Amino acid sequence: MKKNITFLLIVLSILSVFVGCQKPPKAERELAEKAFRDAAVGKDCDRENYLAAEELLNRAREEYNNKNYKKARELFIAVKEKSDQIIEYYRTHPDECLPKVEEEEPEEEEFEEILDPAEDPNMEYPMVHFELDDYTIRYEDQRKIELVARWMKNFPERVVRIEGHCDERGSRDYNMSLGENRANAVKNRLIQLGIDSDRIRIVSYGKERPLDPRSNEEAWFKNRRAEFKRVN
Amino acid sequence: MSIYSRLMFLIAVLLFCIPLFSQIRVEVTDGAIAEYNVAVSPVFTEADAEKAIANEISQSMEMVLNLTGYFNVLNKKSFLEKPETPVGSIEFKNWLNVGANGLIKGFIKSENESMELDLYFFDVANGKQLLHRKYKVSQATAKKASHRFIHDMVQLLTGEELLFMFAKVAFVERFSDGRYNLVVMDFDGSNREIIYSSKKIILLPEWSADGKRIFFTSYEKNNPNLYAIDVRSKRISLVSGYEGLNTSASAHPDNKTIALRLSKDGNAEIYLLDTSTGKLTRMTKNMAIDTAPSFSPDGKEIAFVSNRSGNPHIYRLFVDNPSRVERLTTQGRYNQDPCYSPDGKYIAFTGRDEFFVYDIFLFEVSSRVISRVTQNQGKNETPSFSPDSRLLVFSSDRTGRTSLFLSNVRGDRQVHVYSGQGEAITPTWSPEVVK
Repeated sequence: MKKNITFLLIVLSILSVFVGCQKPPKAERELAEKAFRDAAVGKDCDRENYLAAEELLNRAREEYNNKNYKKARELFIAVKEKSDQIIEYYRTHPDECLPKVEEEEPEEEEFEEILDPAEDPNMEYPMVHFELDDYTIRYEDQRKIELVARWMKNFPERVVRIEGHCDERGSRDYNMSLGENRANAVKNRLIQLGIDSDRIRIVSYGKERPLDPRSNEEAWFKNRRAEFKRVN
Repeated sequence: MSIYSRLMFLIAVLLFCIPLFSQIRVEVTDGAIAEYNVAVSPVFTEADAEKAIANEISQSMEMVLNLTGYFNVLNKKSFLEKPETPVGSIEFKNWLNVGANGLIKGFIKSENESMELDLYFFDVANGKQLLHRKYKVSQATAKKASHRFIHDMVQLLTGEELLFMFAKVAFVERFSDGRYNLVVMDFDGSNREIIYSSKKIILLPEWSADGKRIFFTSYEKNNPNLYAIDVRSKRISLVSGYEGLNTSASAHPDNKTIALRLSKDGNAEIYLLDTSTGKLTRMTKNMAIDTAPSFSPDGKEIAFVSNRSGNPHIYRLFVDNPSRVERLTTQGRYNQDPCYSPDGKYIAFTGRDEFFVYDIFLFEVSSRVISRVTQNQGKNETPSFSPDSRLLVFSSDRTGRTSLFLSNVRGDRQVHVYSGQGEAITPTWSPEVVK
């Protein structure tokens, strides 16, 4: 019995020495994983090597999980080497490896192809909207007025009328002035942009001419507006 | 003079006075409701053809009595005596038992083409007839006659006149297809007449001081110009046609001058316009919106709306020195459409409360106390006083459609008087026309 225990102790100690030798290759794994991530830049231009590295990495992880640390270490080192090669390839072949940037450029050019609507004599005028009880021009509507100003510069014989409107809430009397102030705010902006005041008429319709007859926020927003109309 | 004859004289005076002493007087304290219960026994007629008009007269008298705020109108379902009981056979105990202080009885008799309407008022406690009037009426004038009777009855009891019944209400009816009508009607919604109609916008009617014309704004010439229409002849004349807004007229008692809002200077300002010479006098001068002028009854002040503080509030200016401006409302963020009462005591206005609800409010000029006339009954806007300062007419959407309501100043008596196919908006009570 005693002999048996002694034998077991010896076997265990030998086993533990053996296991101690095969420590998990944590450092190698870390290096390999990082290198592989970095190699993603060459994913498309050095595709073959990238797929190979990916395959190697998957195998390495598998071995690691199965505690075949020796094999895993070798594989991780290989992944690292392969990844470094991809990065090197990427660095030395910019023409092949930067295709995405080239692909985006034509799209942007297409945008510039679209004609400025201000060139169109029949341009549909934009509509300017306002906050409740307010007649200041919102930041997002400045460009709409700039567009109309460009159009008026392109067609200098044209006269426009700006119609100020309100939503259905509040005093009929006061809304007449609110609508007028909205139309005036747009008119003054056009003048700032260089349009002759003689070419701009204004009229307020108060809350008498809603675009949307409903009584909700969406309709109210639609109805609080300044509209451009062609006079001649 | 002997002692005997002096005594006889005194007795004669006393006898003469007794009926006066025995007459009841309704205590009128600040518009508060006295505990005076009145029973309107349904107006009786034998002819089936007159049943409908008899019913209308009864209801109309009840409505008016109720509106005054002086009476509790008793429910006719509780009455013990039949409407047909002749005046000579009234058992006043029957009326005492239902709690009546006063009793109104009425009878219609056919007389050839027209009808005879007999109306009586009795003091129940003393079993005494206090008033009897006989009117020759048609279907169209019967209600008016009953209003005349109520006027006389209330004058007998309180010494006050109910002028609101003899004035008209003008308003705009706006239809969803874009049509606008300018309408004139009796205070109770009857005898409606469209005096002007257009596919172009019609806005903000207001009566001239003599009640013969109505100022209103029309876009007929594509600019909001101010016109006046003669209510009888329907003749229209241009009053103010400056570029921009020409709106919101308010008549000075001199029947010549009006206050109005013009925007010819680039933003809304209040002006006086002499309608006979066309002479303008500017009243306000600042970058803010100044609008909705309403003359005080003496013509010395103008209540108006300005957003000079950032939000629209009610102000008043003094015509002799228009740079003297006083802010009247500080509560809320949106107060609009002021209307001076003809007795100068109140300025009614539309206020928006913190829940974005629009209601009618009163500003008492002497105390500066603000009271609320409407609450929890939809959106209520644009109040206008009756010529006796007793009632307000205003628009309300409480029934789902914007229509016209009357209310006493306390707000505890309200009546729906008109609802049409369109929105009935911006009502305005005429000055006293017929008496």
